[in-house]
Amino acid sequence: MGRSRELLRYTATRLALAPLMLWLIATLVFLLLRVAPGDPVDAVLGSRAPEAAKAVLRARLGLDQPLWHQYMDFLGGLLHGDLGEALINQEPVRQIIGRALPASLELSVTALLVAAIAGLAVGFTAIAKSEGSLDLAGRFYGIGTYALPPFWAAMLVQLLFAVILGWLPVGGRFPPGMLPPEGSGFLIADSVLQGNWTALQGAIRHLVLPACTLGLLLSGVFTNALRLNLNRSLRSDYVEAARSRGLSETQVILRHALPNALLPVLTIAGITVASLIGGALLIEVTFSWPGIALRLQESINQRDYPVVQGIVVVVAALVVLVSVAVDLLVALLDPRVRY
Amino acid sequence: MIDQRRPPGSAHVIRLFRTLLSVSAAAAIGLSQSACQPSRPSQRFTVASAGRITSLDPAQANTFGAQQVISALGDTLYTRSVSGELKPSLAAGLPEISDDGLTVTIPLRQDVLFHDGTPFNAAAMAFSLRRFLAIGTLSYVVGDRIKAVETPSAFELRLRLNRPSSSLENLLTSTNLTPVSPTAYRDHQDRFLNDNFVGTGPYRLASFQAVQQRLEPFERYWGQAPSNPGLTLIYLSNSTALFGAIRSGEVDVLISDSIDEDQRLALNRLADKGRLRVGEGPALVIGYITLLSNSGPLQNPVLRQALAHSLDRPLISQRVSHGLRPPLLSLVPPGLPGGDAEPWPRHDAAQARNLFLKAGYCNGKVFTLPFTYRTNVPADRLMALTWQAQIQRDLSDCLVLKLDGVESTTVYRQLGEGAFQAVMLDWRGSYPDPAAYLTPLLSCSEANGSICERGEAAISGSFWTAPGLEDTLLRSDRSRGDARLRDLDQVETMAAEGAAYIPVWLVTPRAWSLPELATPEFDGNGRLKLARLQEAS
Repeated sequence: MGRSRELLRYTATRLALAPLMLWLIATLVFLLLRVAPGDPVDAVLGSRAPEAAKAVLRARLGLDQPLWHQYMDFLGGLLHGDLGEALINQEPVRQIIGRALPASLELSVTALLVAAIAGLAVGFTAIAKSEGSLDLAGRFYGIGTYALPPFWAAMLVQLLFAVILGWLPVGGRFPPGMLPPEGSGFLIADSVLQGNWTALQGAIRHLVLPACTLGLLLSGVFTNALRLNLNRSLRSDYVEAARSRGLSETQVILRHALPNALLPVLTIAGITVASLIGGALLIEVTFSWPGIALRLQESINQRDYPVVQGIVVVVAALVVLVSVAVDLLVALLDPRVRY
Repeated sequence: MIDQRRPPGSAHVIRLFRTLLSVSAAAAIGLSQSACQPSRPSQRFTVASAGRITSLDPAQANTFGAQQVISALGDTLYTRSVSGELKPSLAAGLPEISDDGLTVTIPLRQDVLFHDGTPFNAAAMAFSLRRFLAIGTLSYVVGDRIKAVETPSAFELRLRLNRPSSSLENLLTSTNLTPVSPTAYRDHQDRFLNDNFVGTGPYRLASFQAVQQRLEPFERYWGQAPSNPGLTLIYLSNSTALFGAIRSGEVDVLISDSIDEDQRLALNRLADKGRLRVGEGPALVIGYITLLSNSGPLQNPVLRQALAHSLDRPLISQRVSHGLRPPLLSLVPPGLPGGDAEPWPRHDAAQARNLFLKAGYCNGKVFTLPFTYRTNVPADRLMALTWQAQIQRDLSDCLVLKLDGVESTTVYRQLGEGAFQAVMLDWRGSYPDPAAYLTPLLSCSEANGSICERGEAAISGSFWTAPGLEDTLLRSDRSRGDARLRDLDQVETMAAEGAAYIPVWLVTPRAWSLPELATPEFDGNGRLKLARLQEAS
């Protein structure tokens, strides 16, 4: 069987398993929410509301139905792309996710860029002089950024750059005095597309601190991965063979050592992206970033079942898709991979 | 000789690294250049608080943040001054109460327009009241008091009551009874309108998001025009962000509802140095402990009284809040009728020991009390830890507190199920009146001796009542003047003797503004007067 057919079969299998995975996740979330203490009707009306009013609301929300009925309604809605309405303010869940997800994606993508640039740059130092001061500094950076508690680091960064130095805003996503550009919800992209440079500047100013903090905290993983793999690659037989064929050092590094060293980094990047799609909760909370993780946390506190279910299912779907995409990319780039 | 520690080709890699570093540095410089631009594009004021607003419907809004915004977008029939005086707002005069106390007639202003141009009149007010009674999530606030809402003339509103109620006048200052335009809410008579508000207030809503609301002055406002060109209200999700935002001058005003105690103190110190201004409102939030009185060891009133004597409020207030949460010895906040009495006992370790001995504890038998606090309220946790340490100091041979942290939603869900033997909570009355504090904690519709089986006392988790308490409570809402004060005093004395609740402290609302602004002012309902925010003269 040809490699491309094998790849196709592998892709089809992964994609076919995705709905099963999503069903399991959706079912688990549905059940866990119902097991958790706290009544959504109390969350909406307050525990002192008259029993009659509670009963009316319970009936309107379908919460008076047997669990099985509620579950079937939930699955039926999911199949039709209907995620329901928030209990707290009756806003469609799809709309809530549509507003919060771009914020999280904008933060995640920028943070990932920062992580990749900083992490790979420091990772390169590994081969400058093994065990030298630069290498040790790189190792220290790699371990240090990975080990720092995110909320603590975020608060320090916030206090230093926003409160003490006053260079950047403390939190939020856009200057309070301005109206954000209409469009996709990706404020930077929307600002650029509309040529609104003031809005762009405002959006960037608010993005810098959370994105850089998150990016630098993640960069340690990239640093360590690149350090180890690049060192190994540069000492390998195929690099020696390339040199002996008379290739220049730049060609050896860029064409032979680096691509091989970057393959594990790509896998790590995929896992990181997948974890960031769900939002970086501590960063979003610290910087009041109105992303999906912050919304999820608030909805859990309010026992807003439809919002929690909707967010978890959408995020799970995106994570599954990204994981499949990364696996395929690695399989395409690395001929050694078998499936 | 080959350097084994240095892989071949490292010089090239270092060059690559340098290039990468240069690109990163250039990007960072670019970002910092853009970052150093001024953050305030206009002279509008930005007001920050913690508390995402999910609904602006007065029939649903029950958070401090939402009520704060609604108070700027709408007016109530009456307002209450900080000194407790009832002042007509949309009403043209004070309410006229019939001799039997069952009819209240309210004359209305004739020069008021809703933001959509609809005239305000008795029909509009009746529409809003009926809507609240039909769908309001806080309709228990009105309870069974209002039998009918009538409109005898275009600018006269009449309320028929089921029973006389002296708290009704203060109830009419409640944000939840803010009138809304019958035109704008025509399709929302029986459901909430969450993302809009059309009222009669000094501001109109220009845009609404849960994390940000823009308010613009309403040009046709009937009263005094706002003192500022507009407001942006923003939500920041944590105390450090709020603290940082006012410290850095990024926001003009900060409302204190969720600021940690240390940061509150730091802001006050900045105000003392003239680097900020601070305004205080009337303290209308009480912090208290509920004791489960219908089962287990706390069924014994002597044990509850021992706990009431064991609490060193001044110490706890000092350690937890640096004295910013004043100790409280009453369920009614001082400043409200009946709030000046202090029927609960002060800290007396010797008396507490005597009572524990009487209940059969001490001398080798230690009473272990599970004490629950809300994990998402930092002050509660600190209170629990401080009380635990204080008990260890004073009464370690009689009492041990076993702390248990539970998240708020779960606490409120399980409170009425009798899940907590002792739990720290707080309460803000829906309107500034003793009835808004005593009724939700003490009212009982079905009792068995001193056990409340049904009613507010059961929902509140104490399940406690006393013979004659409900009658006295109802009488305190019917009587007026000195007679009412006597009734309120009697209610509180009975509650203190029962010791099913132990008041701990008062929470005072504060707002800090930048020094360029005038000192923020509060109204008698504890809401910041947003329309009076202005540059300092």
